[in-house]
Amino acid sequence: MAFTLYSLLQAALLCVNAIGLLHEERFLKNIGWGTDQGIGGFGEEPGVKSQLMNLIRSVRTVMRVLYGLVMKKSNIYIL
Amino acid sequence: MNPAGLAAAGTPRLPSKRRTPASPPGMADPHQLFDDTSSAQHRGYGAQRAPGGLGYPSSSASPQASFMADPVSSMAVAYGSTLAAQGKELVDKNIDRFIPVTKLKYYFAVDTVYVGKKLGLLVFPYLHQDWEVQYQQDTPVAPRFDVNAPDLYIPAMAFITYILVAGLALGTQDRFSPDLLGLQASSALAWLTLEVLAILLSLYLVTVNTDLTTIDLVAFLGYKYVGMIGGVLMGLLFGKTGYYLVLGWCCVSIFVFMIRTLRLKILAEAAAEGVPVRGARNQLRMYLTMAVAAAQPLLMYWLTFHLVR
Repeated sequence: MAFTLYSLLQAALLCVNAIGLLHEERFLKNIGWGTDQGIGGFGEEPGVKSQLMNLIRSVRTVMRVLYGLVMKKSNIYIL
Repeated sequence: MNPAGLAAAGTPRLPSKRRTPASPPGMADPHQLFDDTSSAQHRGYGAQRAPGGLGYPSSSASPQASFMADPVSSMAVAYGSTLAAQGKELVDKNIDRFIPVTKLKYYFAVDTVYVGKKLGLLVFPYLHQDWEVQYQQDTPVAPRFDVNAPDLYIPAMAFITYILVAGLALGTQDRFSPDLLGLQASSALAWLTLEVLAILLSLYLVTVNTDLTTIDLVAFLGYKYVGMIGGVLMGLLFGKTGYYLVLGWCCVSIFVFMIRTLRLKILAEAAAEGVPVRGARNQLRMYLTMAVAAAQPLLMYWLTFHLVR
């Protein structure tokens, strides 16, 4: 079956990368998952959708930092 | 890691794999097997003579004796040992930052009675009435005193036994090779990690405020290995019928066990917080509990069906 810890690590890395690549303006806004759209009130019930949007936004923020480091290290200045 | 602490925690049922290596009388015997070749070689070197019967330990002691007589090298040995002691102190002080050793010790505070009762509960949870964990001044009571408390001893032992039983099953079918053992262990660990991460993610998304720590979750998810071992052993003894019967029974038991345990951890918080119970949110939590419990039989089947032919 060969489902090893290493393949789990690879899958996790690819998933995090995929989340980091989602484009705010072109994609997330069109399906209503943009970060300026859903924050709503400060009520007690965040709900699954807003939690998910927060998660995506925080993953993208962290990835932006890491991408910046990697690209600076390899002298590529995109993003 | 800490043999004194583990020994004080209770008598393990099986020999613990974490005990320090055996004392010298045990070590002398394997070296006796290497007697003939090593003593024959050392005789030819013109080193100090060792009587032939003593063998390896003494022939290594005599060159060491001449080495120790030199004052510079004895100082070097003393310096090296102080460095090692300092390093050990440093590790001991800082290990708590990375691995919560004191918290882990709680999960291994078990004794034989607890293990017996817990195993019975895992296989037959239908008659047990009170599933609440008892607290003692805000901290949960050690597993030794409360059969409902999660522990890591049973999951750890069951995992290792599962690997060994998998090796046994593969061996009886002439499919065994040593790297397959590592593959089984890695696969089971990967599934466990995936389960823990998926459940932590869903707990975050559903905003459940529980006191269910990650280690608790690992403990609960590790209880399914007990059923898996039972299933595979019955499959070895009685073929596919025995395997399916025992596995089916253990699957249903683990399902009921997980639901009854997790319900108290995940769903009780809504009532305890004083927040008016909203239907939709509680329903989501119920779905989460059912999904976690339903994943257990699936994984039990997935990890064992290829072992029983």
